[in-house]
Amino acid sequence: MNTKPKRLRTFYLSLFFVILYIPVLSVILYSFNQSPSTAQWTGFTLDWYKELFNDRVIAEVFKISIVVAFLTSILSAILGTAAAIVALHVTKGMEKKINTVMILPLLIPEVALGVSLLLFFSALKLPFGYLTLVLSHSLFCVPYVYIMVQLRLKEIDISIIEAAKDLGAGTGQIIKTIILPLVMPSILTASLLAIAISLDDVVISTYMAGPTSTTLPVHIFSMMRVGVTPKINALCTLILVGTFFIVGLSQLISKTRKQKEEF
Amino acid sequence: MQEPLLQLKKLNKYYGSSHILKDITFDINYGEFLTLLGPSGCGKTTLLRCIAGLEAIDSGDILLNGASIKDLAPNKRNINTVFQNYALFPHLNVYDNVAYGPRVKKSMSEKELKTRVADFLELVQMSGYEKRMPHQLSGGQRQRIAIARALINEPDILLLDEPLGALDLKLRKYMQTELAHLQKKAKTTFVYVTHDQEEALNMSDRIVVINKGEIQQLGNPREIYNNPKNLFVADFIGDRNIKKVKVLEKNNNYFRIKLGSSIIDIKCSDYAGGGCNPGETAILAIHMDKMKISCTEIPNSFSGEVMSVHYAGSQIRSEVNVDGEIVTVIEYQNNNSDYNIGDKVYISWEESGAVLLPLEDYVEGSNV
Repeated sequence: MNTKPKRLRTFYLSLFFVILYIPVLSVILYSFNQSPSTAQWTGFTLDWYKELFNDRVIAEVFKISIVVAFLTSILSAILGTAAAIVALHVTKGMEKKINTVMILPLLIPEVALGVSLLLFFSALKLPFGYLTLVLSHSLFCVPYVYIMVQLRLKEIDISIIEAAKDLGAGTGQIIKTIILPLVMPSILTASLLAIAISLDDVVISTYMAGPTSTTLPVHIFSMMRVGVTPKINALCTLILVGTFFIVGLSQLISKTRKQKEEF
Repeated sequence: MQEPLLQLKKLNKYYGSSHILKDITFDINYGEFLTLLGPSGCGKTTLLRCIAGLEAIDSGDILLNGASIKDLAPNKRNINTVFQNYALFPHLNVYDNVAYGPRVKKSMSEKELKTRVADFLELVQMSGYEKRMPHQLSGGQRQRIAIARALINEPDILLLDEPLGALDLKLRKYMQTELAHLQKKAKTTFVYVTHDQEEALNMSDRIVVINKGEIQQLGNPREIYNNPKNLFVADFIGDRNIKKVKVLEKNNNYFRIKLGSSIIDIKCSDYAGGGCNPGETAILAIHMDKMKISCTEIPNSFSGEVMSVHYAGSQIRSEVNVDGEIVTVIEYQNNNSDYNIGDKVYISWEESGAVLLPLEDYVEGSNV
């Protein structure tokens, strides 16, 4: 009776995924193409990867991106979690205000945000480089951590916190022994997300990068001006694999947490 | 006389404009099992949370061992709570859950703690479960761990907030006995909150009946069951027939009353009958299971016609029409119960099963 709609649904869903992922797959495919042109397939090769790994500039830029991403994820994990815990302890009205302020960086257009950060950091006479990159990336990574940790905090049964208080724990002890362990999976997932977002950012990084500290996406962008080489395809493939790895890891974290807590 | 362990003095609590607790005043004695009994929303849990310190009180005072604790944070009061849903820490195993209190208070070394946790797990019969996580335990087991976790702090008072509510009937009955035993064994004062009258009557040394934020009656289970002070308690505790009757004569504890066309004499305990004067309408409340149906005429009884007879296991539940008033009688099966629908029967009852109460708080239709 309902096989027909079911088939239709499967077809629609397949079509959806094909359209969504064919461009992504084509990058992977062309990264193994012998011909430097995308017009024809002349055979399988790993030459572009070899060339990529021998590229000193890309290696350097990649290192910068990774360092910035890790520092960003650590900084935003700390700030976002702290803000979420504070929001738990204030009145409902105050919490709403904090929510708005926390999420605002996501709504401000990146171009405008970039310009204002540029002006701000210039006025402070901060050297453009690692510091400005990490600070500006954290600005739009903190909201993600905040939202994810706050969602998890709301799931925690208030009586667990009352029980800790009842058993003699002070506020600091409650945060250390109850709240942080319970939200840790969310903090980890959010940190991974922050890494992915930081690695991916182009607009803000273009403003913030110093003369010796360009990030990978910015570098790819400048490479593109000269023309698309299969080396870029290889690089993008590696980035894709890295991203899938991060997403997979965060899924795994939230899955094990759910299993642990099913009552 | 020994000073009471905990004294509540004119406690008042508001949520916004609603008055949750009204002038709550009573004492809790050393080592007793005291139950706060009332329907949901009556304020009993709020009262418990005020004692624990999880809610602030608006006026009045709470004295523990003679000293005021009303401004102390919950972690500074020597009182522990077993929460309704047990509130075990889901990320800690049984051992770490039980060890939590002493650890945050840094009151003993890990070595000392080990023997102590073992002692308390033994007390609640959960030895050997140290490494289990809360989600691997059944409801009854979780509750025992919650009790051990609270008792290990040697509180002056253990507060229990409907701890049996989530358990199935059989386990609940078993845990009732268990809890009462445990209380005697641990020699700790228990303050227990429930809406289940049977639980309260079963376990408590004393019961405080609460309704709409006010204490209705305080007494031991026998007093509460047999001598309700007002209609609320009479209606809430046990299954009673509650009927409006006309008082014809009054002589100390003896009353002559009229229900329909039956005129009978009854004896009531003194304080319950206060205010029921001749000529007034009063409330007669009789335990259904203390009544008896007879086919032959007996003096001083209601007469009526059998409307229905239900067999429920060992009990027979019959409804008798006494001049338009339906009286329900619960009897245990015996040879005399050979009446059928339509028969004319006579209803009598044990003296202790009946009370006569003033009309004042009777609301038509709500007391059935």
